[in-house]
Amino acid sequence: MSDWIGFFQDVVDYGPQILQGLGNTLLLWVVMTITGLLGSILVFYLTLSQHRLVCRLTDAYISFFIGTPLIVLLFLMYYGLPQWGLRLSPFTVAVIGFTFNVAAYNARYLRAAYNGLDQEELEAGRAQGFSSRQVFLLITLPQSLRLAVPGLTNQAILNLKDSSVAFLIQYTEFFAQVQELATRNFQYFKAYLMAGLVYLALVSVIVIVARQLERRLVRPIGG
Amino acid sequence: MALLEVSGLVKEFDGKPVLNGVDLSLEEGQVKVIMGPSGCGKSTLLRCINRLVEPTSGRILFRGEDVTRPDTDVRALRQRIGFVFQHFALYRHLSALDNIKLGLRKLRRMSDAEATDRACHELRRMDMEEHRDKYPAQLSGGQKQRVAIARALAMDPAVLFFDEPTSALDPRMAREVVALINQLFMDNVTMLCVTHDVFLARYISDRILFLDHGQVRAEGDVEQLLDAHDDPQIRAFFGPGTRAR
Ligand SMILES: Nc1ncnc2c1ncn2[C@@H]1O[C@H](COP(=O)(O)OP(=O)(O)OP(=O)(O)O)[C@@H](O)[C@H]1O
Ligand SMILES: [Mg+2]
Repeated sequence: MSDWIGFFQDVVDYGPQILQGLGNTLLLWVVMTITGLLGSILVFYLTLSQHRLVCRLTDAYISFFIGTPLIVLLFLMYYGLPQWGLRLSPFTVAVIGFTFNVAAYNARYLRAAYNGLDQEELEAGRAQGFSSRQVFLLITLPQSLRLAVPGLTNQAILNLKDSSVAFLIQYTEFFAQVQELATRNFQYFKAYLMAGLVYLALVSVIVIVARQLERRLVRPIGG
Repeated sequence: MALLEVSGLVKEFDGKPVLNGVDLSLEEGQVKVIMGPSGCGKSTLLRCINRLVEPTSGRILFRGEDVTRPDTDVRALRQRIGFVFQHFALYRHLSALDNIKLGLRKLRRMSDAEATDRACHELRRMDMEEHRDKYPAQLSGGQKQRVAIARALAMDPAVLFFDEPTSALDPRMAREVVALINQLFMDNVTMLCVTHDVFLARYISDRILFLDHGQVRAEGDVEQLLDAHDDPQIRAFFGPGTRAR
């Protein structure tokens, strides 16, 4: 028992750094979840293009980023690019890498949702006189987003967990700080246990918000 | 001048003609019903006229203007044609009211209040105002079709196109919708209606066209076509049971 008290004393002493790390984790999570969603909407739009070449290229993009481990991409940008004279901050590298990766996954979810749409509704939109961009923005996208809510929120959870990878490119996020704490007091088990519980708590919050979203957005349209 | 004048309309899919020289005219205030066996090209004909499907050849005059030309403003054309689909095609992520308001807001550029007024007016006309906040998933088939008709009417179209408006409905709901379409008929709304529903055809129509193998095989009023036509094929299509109401 007494060593738990000692551990908590260490946590409190190291509190500012841990909180800062947590802040960085949440910052990266919020940014990549938003940019990943916006990026996926663009990719999704391009997969619906009438031009075959555009479709091919977007499919290739999606396959590439789903097929390549993110860590390779992050290392390539963070450790590889400086050899070409381009030095990016860890945060920038993380945001770029995650955005491309998350956008590819989200675009898959949106595309799958699109396949479940009623084509007659989209035709009704064209028949009413909407332009194809209006049909996309007013009908296709809102319906696909709603149907994709379960997949998209699942991705948001993965984003939070995967953000810990960023510590490998010197981004001082939550896990990096816990690591630092553990190497100072050698309480590896307790430190990682605490890290796990914190991630679990954050994920629980996302899950609760996701449930609300599903209830408000997905159920009314019978998805 | 006729509202709509179609002549020699041809549509081929992969070299196979589905419409093979269709001639059709529709006066302002007139109602015509198009009947014919499944797959004879009825839906394709309606879709060619509002250019959801590109005609292969032929001419379509809409209020005297040739709308098959490449420089035709297709979106403006479509806004003058209210289209009602067999499976209602309501936007499922929008309430009944918002289904109607969408076109008013985004195409007619009405203010929110104006669009709401207009949409409520049309819902009232279809006796659907109490359901204005429901989503399509919460409405019965007949109610959905009434919202769909209200949505088409709200845009103030020159003509309403119906593609089998009652065939996805059970008989009771179909009767309801027929009564409403009949109401529009009384109000002199110009309509072109594809249907298999002989009851609907009798009720609303001045004239019936019989389409077969991509051509108008016969045209006449209800008595001529449904009750006593010389062509045995047409008699066979409508069958003996159709005389009973
Ligand atoms: N996009 C398309 N590509 C290829 N063939 C098509 C296409 N649309 C329709 N067809 C064909 O054209 C023919 C006529 O179709 P259409 O839907 O116009 O018939 P219909 O008279 O409306 O039939 P129904 O009464 O069953 O609705 C059918 O044989 C159909 O297979
Ligand atoms: Mg049809």
